[in-house]
Amino acid sequence: MAAGQRGYEACTGCSLCLLACPVWRATRDIRLTPHGRARALQCGATADELAASIDACTLCGACEPACPQDIGLVAMITGLRAELARHAPARVASVRDRMNDRMAARFAGSAAEIRLLPDRALAADPVLLGRVARLFGGDGKVSVAADDGSDIALALEAGAEISEARLERFLVPLRGARRLIVGDGMLVRALRGWLPAVRIESLGVAATCTAAVRDRLRASDLYVIEPRAYHADQERLVKYYDALRLALGCSMNLDLQRLAIPTTAGCLPAALGRSSVDVRDQARWILEGREFARIVVEDLNDIAAYTAVTDKPVVHLAQLI
Amino acid sequence: MDIPVIEPGVIPPDHVAPDALQGIRRQQTNPKRWDGAGWTEFAEVLRSAGIEVVEQPSLRGTFATDAGGTAYGMPHGVVIARSAVQVADLLRAAQAHRVPVTARGGGLTTEGESVAFGGVLLDMTGMSRVLAIDREGLTVRTEAGIFWHSLAEVLRRQNLDYLSAPLNLTSSVGGTLGVGGIDVNSARLGCSADQAISLQVVTPTGEIVECSDTQNPELFQRVILGYGQFGVITEATLKVRPYTPLRLHYFYYTSLRTAIEDLQLLDRNDASDYSGILTMMDKVVNLLVAFDSDAREAAFMTAWRARLRGHGEAAVALRMAAYYALHPWRLGEALFLYERRRKLFPEFRRAEYTRGGVMFDRTVVFSRAVWKFWGGRQMVIPDLAASEEKFVEAVLRGNAVCRKYFRHYTLYCVGIKLREDHRAHYELSCVPPDARERAYGCEFEPMIGDQVIARDRLQSFKNEIYDIGVELGTSYYRFGGMMKGYVRRVFGDALVDKHLAHKRRADPAMILNRDVIF
Repeated sequence: MAAGQRGYEACTGCSLCLLACPVWRATRDIRLTPHGRARALQCGATADELAASIDACTLCGACEPACPQDIGLVAMITGLRAELARHAPARVASVRDRMNDRMAARFAGSAAEIRLLPDRALAADPVLLGRVARLFGGDGKVSVAADDGSDIALALEAGAEISEARLERFLVPLRGARRLIVGDGMLVRALRGWLPAVRIESLGVAATCTAAVRDRLRASDLYVIEPRAYHADQERLVKYYDALRLALGCSMNLDLQRLAIPTTAGCLPAALGRSSVDVRDQARWILEGREFARIVVEDLNDIAAYTAVTDKPVVHLAQLI
Repeated sequence: MDIPVIEPGVIPPDHVAPDALQGIRRQQTNPKRWDGAGWTEFAEVLRSAGIEVVEQPSLRGTFATDAGGTAYGMPHGVVIARSAVQVADLLRAAQAHRVPVTARGGGLTTEGESVAFGGVLLDMTGMSRVLAIDREGLTVRTEAGIFWHSLAEVLRRQNLDYLSAPLNLTSSVGGTLGVGGIDVNSARLGCSADQAISLQVVTPTGEIVECSDTQNPELFQRVILGYGQFGVITEATLKVRPYTPLRLHYFYYTSLRTAIEDLQLLDRNDASDYSGILTMMDKVVNLLVAFDSDAREAAFMTAWRARLRGHGEAAVALRMAAYYALHPWRLGEALFLYERRRKLFPEFRRAEYTRGGVMFDRTVVFSRAVWKFWGGRQMVIPDLAASEEKFVEAVLRGNAVCRKYFRHYTLYCVGIKLREDHRAHYELSCVPPDARERAYGCEFEPMIGDQVIARDRLQSFKNEIYDIGVELGTSYYRFGGMMKGYVRRVFGDALVDKHLAHKRRADPAMILNRDVIF
């Protein structure tokens, strides 16, 4: 839990977290929300009793900046998932295997000032990854981290234990970087805690700071913010994106509370096919009533979600250049 | 505390509030818990009808208290509302098995009105989808468990907005229609309950009925401002309007009386679209005035601005500095005000919501501030709802009670336009019987923060505020639950008995929200 955040005991039941929760929107079932979990925990519920609720969370993080009591709601979920994993290690066996594989791999270091950590989807698309790297200066100035830490991101989301050895192996090459551009929202949040001396930015923020991307964004675009990184630093980023929106005139996937509405396409429950949120329904809700000619996404996972519900072009930030 | 020596055989004074509780016995304890007779059979009937009944204690505990955090009760089971038919099945079974049903929306009651002391808790937020928007007719049909904010999210995509709603994101539409709902535009547009055009209601005996001013009007009269006694509102058709951001102005006063007089001046003359008072104790009194259009703002500036006696922020800061320089023993209060201003004011001026003096999404701004700066484990908000003539006295006397009990508190005052054609709706409600054209409400909210205060003390505070209402002949917004001891004193036996007779006819087993009013 981050400094200044409080535990579930502080929940007053105000329900503000529900307003931004995609699981609530899909189910209208308070048991599956941060409010429901916190109140149940206050009444003595165990992680096992709340397993369905814990598994349902998409970890978009929108509830956290919405909470007036500053409860660490993301840490609450990852902590509860870790507790479930301790009780039933088989839940995270595949994640452990993935981390063991990474321990066996050989990764080269880099002397570049900027280190790019793509998320799993971007890492799997070498052409697009190359474009992203060029956006930040190309060879010599930026290097794509050979160890992208996607297994660690998955472990964070699943509540699997990350061994000190694996974490150290992941972090050592990153400590020399001055600037770290991170594609995975879960990692953005965690890396800020692990590497406080390194300037860590989400891919979306870093890209929209470049003239190449800003010049190609249009007022008729619907710009889709990746929610996890945004909500991890919402107090600061709400101002950044508001200024961007004003400068460009485009619309964004923000609700009235200025929280980023997620499609939830990239979350673990969706990957496992067990999500209570219909990704297409979320995409439709984001588009409802909005006028736009093109959708620009920060997260590659969102492309499929939007192309399924609109005929308008859907592109990733890197495809703008 | 200086506790005097008590001679044997002498009944000691009440140290909490010696002059409170004028003839009212303390009512701060929960209502008697329903004994559970027949619960198993009842739950079985529901399950056989395909209705999920949550009985796991920790999950029932989610609903153990309300926003007030002073009344605690556990339902035997929780049902999440999914359809009017399901609610009707539940109510019919509840009548047959005499099982109490407590309907709950946002759970933002403060006197335990939405807390179930046994029986079944019906979580209406399960029915919270917008069903249809008529852009030409400017109406919306929605399931009634929806939060006002969720409704606003949907309406905004059509560039529409609701008319008036509580300054709270998570009040539900159904709950609000049952009790009133005030906003800073209520002086012009009336309370939220007066915005309803028609309702789908499930009666306590399980009939699904559509009602409005013309269709089943008697039921409509009973359900609107009916404190949940005469049916569960499952759907509502509400008026809506085109969305407009606000042009906001704040005027600062050091006198409550002057600020209220100016508020009433503006309301009487329809000089603004929004008006309300929010205070930091009685030291900094802020009159909020806002407009939907440049034209209305310009008209105000021309005709009314100069007549207001409020000051700008800098001027009032100077006056406060002078006051505390002469009253150095109140340094603690001065520091509190300074710190409060430092934290609170930026929240009302966040750049992402306010630009060039125009505020976007006012409910988000206000509601975030409400929860962040006034929210806590306990929230006690006694209120007085008075006619225009009695309002100043009611507020001044209530303010004196606040000063007596709490170091820090806030007052929130607004006008409420009344509808003569809805006079029948107002019987036994927050609208005072002697109010004509416009009523006024004041909420007295101690700032408790993370403290936990004994219920006895809070109850004494509330009683002392409510006693003012009895003396002045006002009404209250929150007269249910733990404050229901005041219902007969304020409204009189004849009126209460009349409504009780209606209730007995409508709800023979007296199962629906049974401990709230009667």
